[in-house]
Amino acid sequence: MRNTLFSLLAIALLACDGGLALPPDVEPGFGGIIRFAPGTWPPRDSLNNLWLFASQIYPIDSNKVFAGILGSPPTIFLYPSIEQNLPYYEDSIAYSFNVPPSTYPYVGVIQRFADDLNIRSFRVVGVYATSANPPAPISIVVRDFQFVTDISFTVNFHNPPPQPF
Amino acid sequence: MRRLILYIVLILSISCVSTAQEKTGTLVGRVVDANSGEPLSGANVFIRGTFLGTASDVNGDFRIRRIPPGAHTIVVSIVGYQRQLIDRVQFQAGEERTLNVQLKPIIIQTEQVVITASRREQSMEEIPVSVSTVSAEMIADRNIVTLDDALRYVPGVNMLQDQINIRGSTGYSRGVGSRVLLLLDGMPFITGDTGEINWETIPTYQVERVEIVKGAGSALYGSSALGGVVNVITKDIDESPRLQFRAYSGLYDKPRYSEWDWSSKRRFNSGGIVTYSDKVGSFGYLLSASRSVDDSYRENDAYHRWSLFSKVKYDLSTFSSLSLTANYLARTHGNFFWWKNLREATRPATLQVNGKVRVKRGNLGFAYKEFLSDQFFFTIKAMYFGNFWQDDSAGQINNTSTSHLFSLETQGTYEISTSNILTLGLAGHYDQVEANLFGTHPGFGVAAYIQNELALGAGTKLTGGIRFDAQRVSALSLVAQLHPKIGMVYAPDQRTTLRASLGTGYRYPSIAELFISSPINISDIAILPNPDLQVEKSLTYEIGLSRILSDHLHLDAALFKNDFRNLIEAGVKIKNVKRAPNDLQGVDRAVIQFDNVTKARIQGGEVGLKIQWLERLLSTDLSYTYIWPWDVAESRVLNFRPRHIFYGSTLLTWERLRAAFDFRYVSRIERIDENLVRLAPIIHGDQRVEIKVVDVRASYDFAVLEAPFRFGLNVNNALNYHYVELIGNLAPVRTFFLSISGIL
Repeated sequence: MRNTLFSLLAIALLACDGGLALPPDVEPGFGGIIRFAPGTWPPRDSLNNLWLFASQIYPIDSNKVFAGILGSPPTIFLYPSIEQNLPYYEDSIAYSFNVPPSTYPYVGVIQRFADDLNIRSFRVVGVYATSANPPAPISIVVRDFQFVTDISFTVNFHNPPPQPF
Repeated sequence: MRRLILYIVLILSISCVSTAQEKTGTLVGRVVDANSGEPLSGANVFIRGTFLGTASDVNGDFRIRRIPPGAHTIVVSIVGYQRQLIDRVQFQAGEERTLNVQLKPIIIQTEQVVITASRREQSMEEIPVSVSTVSAEMIADRNIVTLDDALRYVPGVNMLQDQINIRGSTGYSRGVGSRVLLLLDGMPFITGDTGEINWETIPTYQVERVEIVKGAGSALYGSSALGGVVNVITKDIDESPRLQFRAYSGLYDKPRYSEWDWSSKRRFNSGGIVTYSDKVGSFGYLLSASRSVDDSYRENDAYHRWSLFSKVKYDLSTFSSLSLTANYLARTHGNFFWWKNLREATRPATLQVNGKVRVKRGNLGFAYKEFLSDQFFFTIKAMYFGNFWQDDSAGQINNTSTSHLFSLETQGTYEISTSNILTLGLAGHYDQVEANLFGTHPGFGVAAYIQNELALGAGTKLTGGIRFDAQRVSALSLVAQLHPKIGMVYAPDQRTTLRASLGTGYRYPSIAELFISSPINISDIAILPNPDLQVEKSLTYEIGLSRILSDHLHLDAALFKNDFRNLIEAGVKIKNVKRAPNDLQGVDRAVIQFDNVTKARIQGGEVGLKIQWLERLLSTDLSYTYIWPWDVAESRVLNFRPRHIFYGSTLLTWERLRAAFDFRYVSRIERIDENLVRLAPIIHGDQRVEIKVVDVRASYDFAVLEAPFRFGLNVNNALNYHYVELIGNLAPVRTFFLSISGIL
């Protein structure tokens, strides 16, 4: 009988592990590698801007692109930032893009090839998409405290995907 | 109504005249422990076939007056001792007889009397199904404030926050529908709108005991008794005037992680209750008021609660009695649905920060009981259960619901012979719901049941019964059905009982499940009604063994299997929804709708051991339940069911000191509703662990001017283990309680 009590006590003391633990404080976002098809980089004077973008909306209304970027809260996010560009003439770029938790149905690389800020001066040059022809964008779901990895895709300036606007 | 009042007045008048004319006898005596000779306080002494009875006082003494002349059987019982029947005690008019009773100590539980399994008093070894009980003493020892906490150590029962699972029957359906039927003094106590159990409405301090019947029980109790029945039996009124009080104050400890320590203030959980009762001649009354204030360990989870309870009982004669009960509760509670995330587990999700729930509930009960002869006993009971709630956010009312449920029941128990007992009854209910979420709907149901218990000799007893139910809600079709049961008990010797049973159960969908409709809910998803829902059904098989292995060791074991059909669950689906009444095309969007989706089988085994040792100085209760919950429709484990449940408890009783150590283990829930986590969304909602909780408690009895008092100390979750019972809801952290109670 005494053993029963000791067993009970022993089982109870196993509870000392504390149970639920604090999860790591992960900043939400996604990351991967952007590969650039060799020999397709355009001349420097048509590289006014080059960003990785993540849009919460797809398809995109061309009239609402700038509002999506500059609105509050924004629905289109740019990497590295609106003031900075992706590095030019690299074979590949590893990136870590922190975005608010949400579903991003349209993620890719956008190039501003002309000086003016008209929407017609922009074109999407690569998209995180299926390998079908034409490629279909793949949604990325980013949850709180979650960083999604392996979001890798290729940019081919000579063969851009279907344009959204 | 006027006829009913006239009838009651007539009964009262007749009984007064007849009582005055009676010349009666008196029984006095003392109840003592047969081994030690110590007086036994609180032993029940009553005259069989009448309402005459009392409980022994602190010296073991008792006195019963107004005993009609003739031969009577005296029954003496107390938990932990062998019940004694003293046959054919003769009483003459005006005579005072003395009877000293010696009770033999036995293992707790085997001699307990319960009433829920067969709707009449029976000892445990007569029952073909598994039954557990929770006593008033256990409720007081554990400083139970709301009754659901009292069920956390019942073998085979696990709680998902306030939702009860008996052997895995329920799973989780937040606030809508219950697959376990709650009874208050034998009457259904499920809300009229959502069909859920509100534990807080039960006057915990007035509870005599709780009986938990495991397995389908619709053959006697009708809808909702799919996985089991919980019957809360309230205390009778004491013979002498009593002023009782209880006050407690609890302090929440800090959680292990500073990130969860959201408040700089100490958080308290305090309350008290005062009860006065008296009996003047044949008339007894009880009045009680209680107040609870819980700061909570979580933000926007505090509550303030007032409740009032009263009971009036009039013994119309030695053989008949009338009682009325009234109960009212008002509460304001923060609206904490789930955490913000696990890093901020004590803060609610952003949308719930300013939400409040206001509740007013009450019930009125009426019961008339009469022994028409030594063989025939009948009852008439009626109950009204009113329920109002509203939730608001930042002062703006979102949802409100008002429901009124009227129940009426009459039952007769006829002892055809000592070996043949017939129980039969009629029941009916009417409910009316008005809610912005559910609409305005009436509902009604009628039922008739019959049960026969037959002792075949050689320790064998058979029980069979069947119930007919017809139910209708609003303009939906009438649903009629029959639910049978059969059971057998075989006692090959005095220490062994074998039992086997087959029971059936059903649950009529609640008005909420049928008619809930909301353009958007908390997750911005529309909720659609489904008036085509079918009733849920269950079939329970059980075999069990109860054996006294030695004078200090009792074993109870059971194997069970439950088959469920048409289980209702809320699911997310894509449907074409009209954005406006004139929107012909509509739009495809995600919606939530209740549907009959699951066919399930839950089987397993349960073993319980009761051990008493060191001359009854220590007693240990151990129980283990294995559950295999299988979703037959989807070929996977059912959501929200654990596989293993283990409870252990050791109690030390030494003179005036009682000290106990409780441990409970519930294995990690294997599957949860991933859609709920994803769409709500409940951040870190999938985070869960096994439950390993230690509670410790001690109490000390003392007297001031001969008035008994008890001082108690409880440490709940003593190891400050962090876990969830319900997804996204951190369970209470370590809490220290001090309490004092007394009788003046």
